[in-house]
Amino acid sequence: MDLFDPYYLQQLAIGLSLGMTYALMAIGFTLIFGVLNVVNFAHGEIYTLGAFAGLVLITAAAPPIAAVVFAALAIGAFAGFSLERLAFKPFRRFTDEASLKSRAMRESTLLSSLAVSIVVREALEIVFGSQMRSVPFEYLINTPVRVGPVILVTGDFIILGVAAAMLIGLQYLLTRTRIGLSIRAVSNNPLGAKYVGIDTDRTIIMTFVVGSMMGAAAGILVGLYYGAIFPAMGFVPGIKAFVAMVMGGLSSIPGAVICALILGISESMATTFVSSGWSDMVAYGFLILTLIFFPNGLFGAGRERV
Amino acid sequence: MSASKSRPQWVLPVLIGLLVFAALPAVLASFDRGYFYQIANLALIFVLLSASMHLVTGVAGLLHLGHAAFYGVGAYTAALLTTKLGLGFTWTLPLSGLVAALVAFLVALPTMRLVSIYFAVATLAIGQMLYLVMLNWVEFTKGPNGIIVTKGLELFGFSLSGRLATYYTVAAVVVLCVVAIGRLSHSYYGNALRSIREDDQCADAMGVRTVRLKMEAFTLSAFFAGVAGSLWAHMTGYISPGDFKFSESILILAMVVVGGLGSLPGAVIGALLLILLPEGLRGLGDFRNIMVGMVMFLSILFLPKGLLGEVSALRLVRQQLGAAWRRTDNGIGIGWR
Repeated sequence: MDLFDPYYLQQLAIGLSLGMTYALMAIGFTLIFGVLNVVNFAHGEIYTLGAFAGLVLITAAAPPIAAVVFAALAIGAFAGFSLERLAFKPFRRFTDEASLKSRAMRESTLLSSLAVSIVVREALEIVFGSQMRSVPFEYLINTPVRVGPVILVTGDFIILGVAAAMLIGLQYLLTRTRIGLSIRAVSNNPLGAKYVGIDTDRTIIMTFVVGSMMGAAAGILVGLYYGAIFPAMGFVPGIKAFVAMVMGGLSSIPGAVICALILGISESMATTFVSSGWSDMVAYGFLILTLIFFPNGLFGAGRERV
Repeated sequence: MSASKSRPQWVLPVLIGLLVFAALPAVLASFDRGYFYQIANLALIFVLLSASMHLVTGVAGLLHLGHAAFYGVGAYTAALLTTKLGLGFTWTLPLSGLVAALVAFLVALPTMRLVSIYFAVATLAIGQMLYLVMLNWVEFTKGPNGIIVTKGLELFGFSLSGRLATYYTVAAVVVLCVVAIGRLSHSYYGNALRSIREDDQCADAMGVRTVRLKMEAFTLSAFFAGVAGSLWAHMTGYISPGDFKFSESILILAMVVVGGLGSLPGAVIGALLLILLPEGLRGLGDFRNIMVGMVMFLSILFLPKGLLGEVSALRLVRQQLGAAWRRTDNGIGIGWR
């Protein structure tokens, strides 16, 4: 068995592009969940909303692809804002230190975001039906491109470019700009951030808006890439993004991206040996193994877990 | 003792017993429609699932997002024992519970030291893994086609598969299990679990064996979920992986949250509400799941303690259901020993 067999190279390429789609989702997810440290279970639905916003626009007006992505971004920003107002703001009524640290508070936002995500998903199912909706052919980003022995599609390059741009942009935002610094301050110590004059409410909304825009962009790009959009599409990538985030060490966005790639490659390699139905097992297995053996993630610095 | 002020302690249990074993069957028999029996049995099974979730999530404070998978393990154990070995309900009922508990124990060994959200996500992953096994191990579980369970309910050779007999069997098993869960959660044992939920480091320092107790709660709750699974398998006669997917775990969680975390009567009320309300509003059709989400969201927002909060539930149970080993002057007491 030659490892540089074209078949394995092709499998590797498929894995990389799968990993890139996970990474796309993981970036926004890590910003809200890992960096801001707010448990958000509704990110998968933002992704779905972005995809459906794009689909509706395509079927209604058939605009150029950039406009579709722009519409998804706008919907993502709006959805992130409303999500924060609906499911998170009401639970920040108390600002004293004890309730900020209390488990009950944190778990109530977990449950409320879960409830919102159920409502959104079911509403989408009622409006659009639970079946897959196919994207018109001319919008698909899967024209094959031959690179050496393997065949890639245009979408791979687009997703790679977008993911790289998001990653670099976010790293810049978080380390160099005022809003990024305030996001990190709020995540580190909400009360302390308030004392030094940071508007925590606004910072949290900004983070949700930025993270959700990225989630929605991921949704429409992946939708155009695979050509199928359906209400439950956000669930599995949401889990994969979570796994990537935990493996990457929670607050590290580059770590999450690298782990998303590892995850994608492992899954596509696993399908060589077992039927594709089992490939999701890889992600769940990785999650359990990471939680047990690398509680700080593969790339993360130490962090208090209690 | 404040017997003069409050009702005697046997009134409420007797009333509930009469309702479940006399009034409801009478109503069901007078309508005599299979559909009503189905709903009643479904509601009872979900009462058991919700009560078992109450033990692990409400009392011990471990957010469990994979409960339906253990329910599925129980159902598949019952179905496979029936189809492969020809065992009847008498054997599958305890065995399904034990197999589910064994799986839960093995799962708990590595994961029980995780806290809060990490534990929740680990249980989600484990639930999904079990679901994938049910879905993809086609040779063993028949995959998405599901399994037809050939034997109905029976006990030591007596067939109990008539409509009324089925109802009585399900009701008896569920009531027995709920009483057992009540006994566990309203005793000193339950108090120890509650102390872990409130502050596990403090409980540890006080000499409560936190990890062991958490494991016991997790395993016991899986046992009861497995029992519910075997009831479901024999009652409907057909199971498929779709009955045990993630959204069912969320439905059970919603029942416990709506009823009130840490309150057993609340968990029962939540289960009845979330099963009977969508059936009552059947005209709405597809809106069943959206209702679950809405009810859950609104109750977290406006009733953070649930329909019957933990404190009032404890007071109710200790005063009216006699769940106190020794009663203090105000008639409340601390719990069973």
